[in-house]
Amino acid sequence: MPETVFEPWNDPAANPLIQFRNVTKRFGDFTAVDNLSIDIFEKEFFALLGPSGCGKTTMMRMLAGFETPTSGTIMLDGQDISPIPPNKRSVNMMFQSYALFPHLTVYDNIAFGLKRDKLPPDQIDARVKEMLRLVQIEKFGQRKPEQISGGQRQRVALARALAKAPKLLLLDEPLSALDKKLRQDTQFELMDIQEKTGTTFVVVTHDQEEAMTVASRVAVMDHGKLKQVDTPDRIYEAPNSTYVADFIGDVNIIEGHGKAQGDTMAISWAEGQPPIIGTPSKPMDDGNVSFAIRPEKVAISAERPADRNNVVQGKVLDIAYLGNLSTYHVQLPSGIVIKAQTANSRRRASRPFTWEDEVWLSWTDTAGIVLER
Amino acid sequence: MNLRRFSLIAVPYFWLLGLFLIPFLIVFKISLSDIALSIPPYTPTLELSEGWAGFRDFLSQLDFENFEFLATDDLYWKSYLSSVQIAFISTFICLLIGFPIAYGMANAPKEWQPTLMLLVILPFWTSFLIRVYSLIGILSQEGMLNQFLMWLGLIGEPLTILNTNVAVYIGIVYTYCPFMILPIYATLIKLDGSLLEAAEDLGCSRTEAFWRITVPLSKAGIIAGCFLVFIPALGEFVIPSLLGGSDTLMIGKTLFEEFYNNRDWPVASAVAVILLLILIIPIVLYQRNEQKMMEAET
Amino acid sequence: MRRLTWFNATSLTLGFAFLYIPMIVVIIYSFNESRLVTVWGGFSTKWYGELLQNEAFLDAAWVTFKVGFFSSIIATILGTMGAYVLVRGGRFYGRTLFSGMIYAPLVMPEVITGLSLLLLFISIGLDRGLFTIILAHATFSMCYVSVVVSSRLVSFDRSVEEAALDLGCTPFEAFRLVTLPIIAPAVISGWLLALTLSLDDLVIASFVAGPSATTLPIKVFSSIRLGVSPEINALSTILIGLVTIGTIMASLSTKRAVMRRERAERMAEQAG
Repeated sequence: MPETVFEPWNDPAANPLIQFRNVTKRFGDFTAVDNLSIDIFEKEFFALLGPSGCGKTTMMRMLAGFETPTSGTIMLDGQDISPIPPNKRSVNMMFQSYALFPHLTVYDNIAFGLKRDKLPPDQIDARVKEMLRLVQIEKFGQRKPEQISGGQRQRVALARALAKAPKLLLLDEPLSALDKKLRQDTQFELMDIQEKTGTTFVVVTHDQEEAMTVASRVAVMDHGKLKQVDTPDRIYEAPNSTYVADFIGDVNIIEGHGKAQGDTMAISWAEGQPPIIGTPSKPMDDGNVSFAIRPEKVAISAERPADRNNVVQGKVLDIAYLGNLSTYHVQLPSGIVIKAQTANSRRRASRPFTWEDEVWLSWTDTAGIVLER
Repeated sequence: MNLRRFSLIAVPYFWLLGLFLIPFLIVFKISLSDIALSIPPYTPTLELSEGWAGFRDFLSQLDFENFEFLATDDLYWKSYLSSVQIAFISTFICLLIGFPIAYGMANAPKEWQPTLMLLVILPFWTSFLIRVYSLIGILSQEGMLNQFLMWLGLIGEPLTILNTNVAVYIGIVYTYCPFMILPIYATLIKLDGSLLEAAEDLGCSRTEAFWRITVPLSKAGIIAGCFLVFIPALGEFVIPSLLGGSDTLMIGKTLFEEFYNNRDWPVASAVAVILLLILIIPIVLYQRNEQKMMEAET
Repeated sequence: MRRLTWFNATSLTLGFAFLYIPMIVVIIYSFNESRLVTVWGGFSTKWYGELLQNEAFLDAAWVTFKVGFFSSIIATILGTMGAYVLVRGGRFYGRTLFSGMIYAPLVMPEVITGLSLLLLFISIGLDRGLFTIILAHATFSMCYVSVVVSSRLVSFDRSVEEAALDLGCTPFEAFRLVTLPIIAPAVISGWLLALTLSLDDLVIASFVAGPSATTLPIKVFSSIRLGVSPEINALSTILIGLVTIGTIMASLSTKRAVMRRERAERMAEQAG
């Protein structure tokens, strides 16, 4: 391939922009971040993803300088930043509440940081106008924050944080205050702006869809620890734990006893049923395992498919019609419910299956992944 | 309009008309009358029995003589000016003392705040007179303040504080401080902490963030507090008469003395009318500020 | 938000010292054996005894109590009506004048209010005494009650009232059964405010009292003019004590109510 792929994390020679080295942060008895190490590279769009209280916000606040690590070091451009106060860091933040100054106009909000740098007025003016253009709110420069819409406020917050051309931009739940439709549009714009400015973005979110859409890499966090750091497709297709598999998207988990069979693994999961064949996430010994498979990789049919190893029979329990997709909840004789998803590619197609139908579910040997339990 | 709604509106309405508005109109009318040795001690009085002619006669005898008198006698001018000055300076001192207290309260740990609030409200419910009284002992020649200053070695001889304007300043600041603290605290407690973090993030030092964010955003509370001190301080009577000296001129005291000692009701009424005219400006400004605060909240 | 801790601690300490030291000194000296108010002559409660035998003070206190009791009740009823008219009254002729008359007395200097009421009472030939003080106090206190109650009325969800009407209440029943219980805390604090204002008032009472009725503040004022006295210290201590107990009890009861509600919410969540 002639085109170079943007993957500095796979390049041993690349220097990370940010390095967390064994960083721990405690608040009293509570450990928010637990001995965590991570490298983030220049120009990355990096997402910290996790439920509330997982430590992602603390990570970001340590980068911004509002918290100091209890132990460990954080390096920015090879320099330990813990002694540097927030106002001296080349790191800017877009706050979840936007934190726009209500007594200043949009223009003055964006100019606020530039004025602190004592830039000459004409440079400030030029930069503010550039920012207003970048986020497409030229018309609203003279308004106060309360006189513009939520989506526009979000843009002002972004412009204000970008105005100082920081090495690193932190975004705290940047889109959570917007409604769904606007959120989706803004996600793409955010990616555009990130590309145009070449700034490194670190975004904190609890919305997995948002993280998957915007980020070059996603770090899934839980209880102050990193569960997995990987590209969105790897996180989805090759989760390394049931936690990650379950947190991202929809998944069927079947528990059983695994036995290695060359590259694959055979999992005995129910009395009298043939074992399921799956691909292990990493080399693992025989023992208790979880088999995870996404609903869209489970095929549903009325007849038993002949060409597949993994076939089970069950009864349709529930059907969720989502417009573009339909999800069937199929109960197996052992009581387990497996979800299978089909795309509704044709309009007005009569629904092939209905409640109480006996159906066959099947998947290929590589469709599901075997995880340690 | 049904009877019930009518009476619901009418009872408080007519009560206030009769006991607030009409009395004030009477003050206005008497301010245009002349002093007389009679009961009541002013003239003319309206004789309704004489009908329309009586009314015309009554009107023709009203004049602005009392106001002219106020303008020529410098006792009144000095009283007004010195009231404004005393009220203004005490308001400023109140702000200097009240703001740090409000700021300290707003930044104190959450679990302390109800207690701190209670400590500010308690003086507010305590008798005003008693709080002024409590200063008399402190400020007197042999009082605690002089003893303390002498113990510090700052002064050799006890100072005369009581019965001077200094005591009036201290009295106003002491009694009205809670009025300054409460509205400022109310705006500071609502201040979103992330605004200060954003300012720091954009390169402000903490001091700079305080002046650029905290102060402008607590402006409404500061203004409200200043008016809540300034307006009542301007017409104050108790403090100048208990803590001030014979040379302390405040218009509330002057009015009271005019009324009781000189029994010159028309002049006292004229003094009241002028005082109210002076107060209209700060009152209107205060109302506007309140309205702005209300709008900001919705 | 916990910044400049030393600065905050200093300003709070100095600030509260300023607010409290004078009152604490008065309390301490009320237990002074000596009549000299600046010399400590040993602990004694004799001034409380003397105070309780001082007929003039006791009479004045009784007058003050009667005035406070009646004027605060009138003020609470009128003020609640006024608040209701302000917030729910809709449009009527002279509405602006009405709201002006509610707010103006709050900022009116007491000397003017007192003077104007006195001139009214004289011109209509009403004898000054207990009755005129009650009228005067009820008038200015009702405005405070109105402000307190109307701020509660503004913030509460009108659809609750509409629901009551929808379920068959007459407007008056809706007020009595739904609105009044909801605004009751504000009405009670308005009443407490009216009572305190009445008990504290010196200036207006001095104008409208006349020789037949002397309230406690008038009595205290005339004796303070003669200087500091241990009886006044004792009286101040009693009043400060009453206010302190009242305020603390009020704040404890709100705190308990909040805690009870939070606990109930937690339990409901666990149950659900």
